[in-house]
Amino acid sequence: MSRGSGGGYDRHITIFSPEGRLFQVEYAFKAVKAAGITSIGVRGKDSVCVVTQKKVPDKLLDQTSVTHLFPITKFLGLLATGMTADARTLVQQARNEAAEFRFRYGYEMPVDVLSKWIADKSQVYTQHAYMRPLGVVAMVLGIDEEKGPQLYKCDPAGHFYGHKATSAGSKEQEAINFLEKKMKNDPAFTYKETVQTAISALQSVLQEDFKATEIEVGVVKADNPVFQVLSTEEIDEHLTAISERD
Amino acid sequence: MGDSQYSFSLTTFSPSGKLVQIEHALTAVGSGQTSLGIKAANGVVIATEKKLPSILVDETSVQKIQSDTKYWSCLQVFLSFHLLSRKLSYGMGPDFRVLVRKSRNQAEQYHRLYKEPIPVTQLVRETAAVMQEFTQSGGVRPFGVSLLVAGYDDNGPQLYQVDPSGSYFSWKASAMGKNVSNAKTFLEKRYTDDMELDDAVHTAILTLKEGFEGQISGKNIEIGIIGTDKKFRVLTPAEIDDYLAEVE
Repeated sequence: MSRGSGGGYDRHITIFSPEGRLFQVEYAFKAVKAAGITSIGVRGKDSVCVVTQKKVPDKLLDQTSVTHLFPITKFLGLLATGMTADARTLVQQARNEAAEFRFRYGYEMPVDVLSKWIADKSQVYTQHAYMRPLGVVAMVLGIDEEKGPQLYKCDPAGHFYGHKATSAGSKEQEAINFLEKKMKNDPAFTYKETVQTAISALQSVLQEDFKATEIEVGVVKADNPVFQVLSTEEIDEHLTAISERD
Repeated sequence: MGDSQYSFSLTTFSPSGKLVQIEHALTAVGSGQTSLGIKAANGVVIATEKKLPSILVDETSVQKIQSDTKYWSCLQVFLSFHLLSRKLSYGMGPDFRVLVRKSRNQAEQYHRLYKEPIPVTQLVRETAAVMQEFTQSGGVRPFGVSLLVAGYDDNGPQLYQVDPSGSYFSWKASAMGKNVSNAKTFLEKRYTDDMELDDAVHTAILTLKEGFEGQISGKNIEIGIIGTDKKFRVLTPAEIDDYLAEVE
């Protein structure tokens, strides 16, 4: 079994290529893009908001079952961009881990601890050949007791960073360019500004105006740190505010 | 370690006798951001570039220099490289976290058993053994990181570099990453055996500055020091800015 030079296997399992790359991890990133959905997250002064497209491919589908936004605990939310099936396993494991943490240590799992745990799990898949990396980028949001609103993004490579604003999915780079301009001077957005920045970023990048049923919005606010998914009416209010503003 | 579904090693000898996976891992390290370490007469300093993929990233959430016990530190090299027209920064940051966790465990176990802090050489040896295992066990790939370990124990200040192969050496000064050859030449010229820790920090900053793209500041480099007090700490951005001002 001559594996010495990679022998072509460097594309099939997570071993190094001659340039020091891990092709399987790179392909996992491509799988996230191939899902055709873009997501945005914005962190404000006292709130965090995540927005994603809600594409229901078939009219016969029950729309309420199509979602990428998952509560992990009452206080932590997770937006999964990419392969839906991989997202569901990740969410299942994260929910389990957060619940055990709460039981074991007596306080709620903080955002960065959960993100690190997700990222460490993803790292294992990049190093052990028997499991492929998950084709999911996870954005975790919550209000930290000490640090305030937090938004973390974890990717298939096992990387995780805290973000002031970020994006994932097919139009990730365009969205990041848009957000970099908006966040350049470290603005401290209020809750409404946070939500509207996130939604208008998505609209601008995809160049279409949404109906309330075509997007999903999740928020956490410092004065009420429970993770909430906005209802269609609430989304409509924000959409109207945005169109009146422009 | 290793997985029964893959009961053979993925790192095998090529016909010329090389372990190619390890060489590829070293290539991965070599494309990472520049890092360096300098052993002074009364301490050790390690420094690295901390270039983040976007201004949207919250830099306070990123720490490239981690301490294992109060007594020392590891430093890793990030692999960030350009894929087509975009920067795909994946990397060996995740691999680094695994090694930090294992080293911390080993340091704690030693302390529990012997009631004293683990000597630098011992910790380096054990961490290196872990890295070597991943070059030989079934179903796993080598780590894509080189570690710079700085410590101060009864044998004085020490600086070690551990490679993905699991081999390690003690250094007076060392560098790794993209700008390694320029950095090493610079260090060779500037290094003296009787250097003080402050001088070493200045030299470290100057070395990083050599190959730095853009404006160097306390926000895009990270520096850790350990002195005769045997307490390792990471400098705050403000302290780094002070050192930068002195250097200019």
